[in-house]
Parts: sequence; structure tokens; C-alpha cells
Amino acid sequence: MVGSPVLLIAIPLLAAFLIPLFGMVWKESVRIVPGLVLAYLTYLSASLYIEVINTDTIVEIIAGWRPPWGINLVFSPLTGFLTTIMTFMGFIVWLYSYRFKRNVEFEAAKKYFIFLMLLVAGSVGIVITGDIFNQFVFIEIVGISAYALTAFYTGRDSAEAAFKYLIMGSLSASALLIAIIIIYSQLGTLNMAEIAANIDNMNPYYRIIAMIFFIIGIGVEAEIFPLNGWAPDAYTEAPGPVGGAFSGIVAKAGIYAMVRMMFTLFDIAGPMKILIVIGLITLIVAETSALRQEKLKRMLAYSSIGQMGLVLVAFGMGTKAGVFAALFLMLNHAITKPMLFLSGSFLTFNTTEKYIKQITGMAKKMPVVSIIFVLGALAITGFPPFSGFWSKMAFLSAAADENLLFIMATILIISIFEVVYYFRVINRLFFFEYDDKISVEPHKPGFNGMIALFVLAFIVLMIGFYPSSVTGFIDLAADDLLNTHQYIDKVLQLGQTIIQ
Amino acid sequence: MKKAIVIFLLAVFGFFLAVTFLDPDFEAERNHNGVKNFYLDKTVSQLKTANTVTAIVVNFRGFDTLGEVTVLFLAATALGSILFKKRHHIGDRTVLMPASSIVSAGSKLIFPAIILLGAYVFIHGHLTPGGGFQGGTIIATGFLLMLIAYRDFSISHNVLSVIESFAGIGFVTFGLLGFMNGGTFLQNFMGTGVLNDLISGGVIPVIYILVGFKVAAELTGLIYTILHEKG
Repeated sequence: MVGSPVLLIAIPLLAAFLIPLFGMVWKESVRIVPGLVLAYLTYLSASLYIEVINTDTIVEIIAGWRPPWGINLVFSPLTGFLTTIMTFMGFIVWLYSYRFKRNVEFEAAKKYFIFLMLLVAGSVGIVITGDIFNQFVFIEIVGISAYALTAFYTGRDSAEAAFKYLIMGSLSASALLIAIIIIYSQLGTLNMAEIAANIDNMNPYYRIIAMIFFIIGIGVEAEIFPLNGWAPDAYTEAPGPVGGAFSGIVAKAGIYAMVRMMFTLFDIAGPMKILIVIGLITLIVAETSALRQEKLKRMLAYSSIGQMGLVLVAFGMGTKAGVFAALFLMLNHAITKPMLFLSGSFLTFNTTEKYIKQITGMAKKMPVVSIIFVLGALAITGFPPFSGFWSKMAFLSAAADENLLFIMATILIISIFEVVYYFRVINRLFFFEYDDKISVEPHKPGFNGMIALFVLAFIVLMIGFYPSSVTGFIDLAADDLLNTHQYIDKVLQLGQTIIQ
Repeated sequence: MKKAIVIFLLAVFGFFLAVTFLDPDFEAERNHNGVKNFYLDKTVSQLKTANTVTAIVVNFRGFDTLGEVTVLFLAATALGSILFKKRHHIGDRTVLMPASSIVSAGSKLIFPAIILLGAYVFIHGHLTPGGGFQGGTIIATGFLLMLIAYRDFSISHNVLSVIESFAGIGFVTFGLLGFMNGGTFLQNFMGTGVLNDLISGGVIPVIYILVGFKVAAELTGLIYTILHEKG
């Protein structure tokens, strides 16, 4: 036993309160401490994950009250899988942004690192909690960190983006709270496992209205259409690495909350196929919008939303193969999209607008970063032998098993769209001459940033050449999500042992 | 056509909303199986806390409270970071009118009483209605009054930040102490004493007092930051 899941939340919160004190004594500590915390979280999460796979799901109780009376955390093959990805990506984003505003603005840098750390901690909390109100609290933590990071540059556009995000986020949080109130008024409990066990006793009216409010409440973080209006602006205006954190960490937590609600709480993902409809609309709208974008980060943001739609379609199939494909897509997207964001911010370094035309001919000036960007683009569009190929393949075979020919056709057409807009960028990057007037002035990328990019590129290649290195884990996670009864039993049995 | 669809969808939505909220049926039999009775029972028998709401906020659902305290901390930090460049020095504040002599004389008189009331509310959070959040807010209103009455009233941001940090660290540390002593995070590991005594309820009053300090420091900091924004 290396630790316990609650430390994944308690340690970053403790560190967040400590950092202002450390900052008064030693200024460099405000960037070192979050890194140590994120590294520790990655280590803790990975070792707990290995333990969970070899033995059994850990259900941790808090304040000594067993479920359903107290709050509990569930560290299962599914949540462990997501937590490990998130903490690892948090660490990579930290590594990339280590020199952020160093020796320039101390206050701003301190706050940036606190927000980044709590963004990761909140996302981890959304995933491991077993209580709907607790999840709401973590969604608030993630939301407020994200608004602050969006508004970070305090310019006119970033203020607008943050305000848009703030309004949508707060309205959706109220919707989520209403959903929680309805459920509590009907079932008298907030524990996910107990709700799942008793959901059939609930009046159908209340059930449907609670579900609609849930979808609205979580949809903003999960970036589903039409609740994702904030995303392109926020991704564009936030500092470069934060776009990577949003797509790699926050969106994953949102999708998890959505899926947990659909599969476990309401248990309707199978028959109603509502996720397929939501996902397809999100996918089509986002990918067609991405075609028309002129700013690099905006294009990546739309691509990120599109991928989330794809993940939801895969979850919506409700079969083992579908869930497997969805989790595989989530893993690949969590690694590849931050890689694109991070290398993209190197390519458009220090420009405010980040137009695609500004990277014309940059490949000759910054070859390594350009190659990593291309690797990411190829992986996300699904070229063999990179990681994205295997997840798209898994997706298509899952759809084929279900005879969902319309979906297969749509996905293949959308893939062409993806190829078009990514290759437009690659074309400019490699086959255009460098032009002083339009292009950005090249700069030397930082050492830490390059390490972060190399690690991500290595993982993309590793999954591409040896997909079997991760498929075993994803398989276990998919089984875990689909087995609702096992989830309910594991949590509630713990409660029964104490009553006796 | 577009409008018709929107109206139709809103009508469907409104129907469900009306059905849900016209008859929430809170009194129904099913609610007796929920967590409610357990909380009412254990608050008195095990936690020895007179105020059930406090027991729920600090102990049964203490993890949520830790989260909410973090939300407040984040909100205060975020506001500070957004308004950071706009902040300027005391004295050239433009948001406020000069206060009349009645306000400035009166506030000096009321200020200690407000602080005392706030402290009373959060120290007795486990016995009487109130608690850390309420008490902290009362204290912050005291500072707001002083800031309105005296244009050159200044509060050190560093001191606020230190109080805020120590209170937060204290909360998590007490949680972790429970983790080490009793086995779970935030567990009530101290003796609970006698019901209705000032020193009773184990860690509950300690944590609520820390929350009180934290909320007071944070809200005061928020008010101070906003008042010092260029108008």
C-alpha cells in the first residue's frame, strides 16, 4: 500500500494553500512545488492503479462514515486509468511551462501554477468521487481554475472569452445543482451507487427532467454541442499550455462524468442511444467549423471538440467493443492533442493572434518541433502506424459489429475533413518558403519544453507500434464501466459491513 | 418555423419542469429511508454536536466543505490575478465618495462589536445556528464598513494571505491527522466531550473556526481588491 486515493485530492489542496507562504520565502518554489506535487500524484496514481489491477477496486471512505452516509472515493480500473492519464498529462504540461513568466512577473506566475495544479486536482476529483454533490464541488473547482486561466492575459479578448465561459459554466452548474436536488428529493441520498441501485423506484418524470439537467450541467465541461460555445475562445485566449490541459485533462473529466451518469446512475446508455445523437451532432458541427478556421489554436480547439463527439458516439454504442474504442480514443486524444497544442505554441511563439499563415515555412527554421507537430497531426487523423490509427480502427470495427453503417460512413467522411485541415497546416509548414513578412520569428525552444514534447512523441510512437502495451488496461477499464452491478455492490457492501 | 420549434421544445421542457416542481412530494414515505435519520441520530449520539447542520457540513460531508473552501480560495486568487494590473495605491481610490462624519464616527464604534459577533458566531458554530462561513462573512462586513468610512484604511495583503494559507493548511492537516489516527481522511479523532459544552464535538469546532478565519480573510481580501480597482 503506497498511499490512498484521498491523497490525490488532499496533497494538491495542501500545496495550493502552502504555495503563497513558500512564495514569500523563495520565489522559485512557486514553480517547483507544483511540479513535485504533480510528479507525486502521477507516481501515486500509477502505483495505486497497478495495485487495483492486481487485486481489487479500492473504495475509500471519508470522515469515517460508510456509504451511503459519508462521501466515498472509488479507485477502480476505469477511474484509475483516467486518473493516471490526467496526472501524467498535468505533469507534462507543468514541465512544458516551467519557465513560464520566469523572472518576469512573479505574482502572475504564482497564480498560474496554483490554477494549473488545482485544475488537475479537480479533474482527478471528478473522476474518483463516488458522490454526486462531491462531483459538483470538483466541477466548480475545475471551472473556476479554468475561468481564471482563460482570463490570464487580462486583455480584451481573453476577458470576453473568460466571461463567456463563466456565464455558461455558472448556468450549467446551477442546472447540475437542480438535477442533484431533484434526485435527493426523490431518493434521499447523494451516493452514486445507492442512486444507481434505486433509480428504478424513481418517478419517470423526475428521472427524465433530472437527466436533462444533468446533461446540461456536465455538457459544458464535456464540450458537447450546443454547450461548447466557450471552448474555441477559451482555448485560443488561454496561455498555450493551458489549451493542452483543457483538451487533455478537463474535457476527459467532463466526458467521464457524462458517461458515469449515463451508464451507472441512469442506466439508459444502452437502449436510448442518446449519446450517439449528441456525439454525432457535436462531431459534424465541430469538424466542419474546424475547416474554416484561420487561427491555429482555434482550429485545434474545434478538432478537440470533434474528437470528444467521436468519443461520445463510441460510448453511445453501449457495447463492450464500443466502450473499448471510446476509452482508447480518450487515451490517444489525451496525449496527442496536448502534443499539438504544445508544439503549436512553439511554432507561433509570442504572437497574439496565432494565425495559421504565420507558421509558413517554419519547418526549415524549427525542424524538430515541426516534425513533432506533424506526428501529432498524423496520429490524430488516424494514419498508420501511429496511435490514432488503432483507436479509429477499434471504433470502426465496434460500429461494424453493431451494423451502424450510417455512423461508419459519417466517421469516414469526417476523417477526410480532418485530413484536409491538418494537411493544410502541414503544407504551409513544410512546402512553403519562409517569409519574413508573414511568418513568426523563430526562437530556440526551451529544454524542458522539448523534453515534454519528446516524451509525448515517444508515447504516440509506442502505442502506434505496440498497441498491445495499452489495450490490456483499456480492456479492464471497459469491463469496469459496463459492470454496473459490480460497482453498486462494491460500494454498498462496504456500508452494510458496519450496520450489522 | 425556427420559432415554432423553439416554442415547442420549451413547452415540452416547461411541462416536465412544472410536473417536477409543482409536486416535489418531500413528505413521502420513501424519504424516511434516506440518510436523514441517520444524520439526526448520529449527530447527537456519536458526534455530540448540538447543531446538526454543522455536523453535516464539517463531518459527514466535510470533504465537500474542503472543496468549497478551495473554491472560495480560487475565486479570491482569480479575482486578484485579473485585477492585479489595475490595482493602485491607497489614497487615490476613485470608487468611493468621502464618508460623512456620522459614518466615520459610528463605524469606529460598531467595528469591534461586529468582529466580536463574527467570532462568536464561528466559535459557537457547533452549538448555535451559524458557523465558519457565516462568522467569516460577518467579520468581512466589519472591514467593509471600515473601508467605506475611512478612505485611507489599509489592510496588508500579506497578512491576509498568511491567515488564509494557515487556515487552509490547518483544515487539510486536521484531515490528514484523522487519516493517520483514525484511518480515514477528516475523521473525528478527538474526544467528543459532552453535548452542548463549548468544548465538544472533537475536531468539528476546530475546523469550523479555521474555516471562519479563512472566509473572513478571503472576503476581506476580495472587498479590498475590488475597492482598489480603478473606477
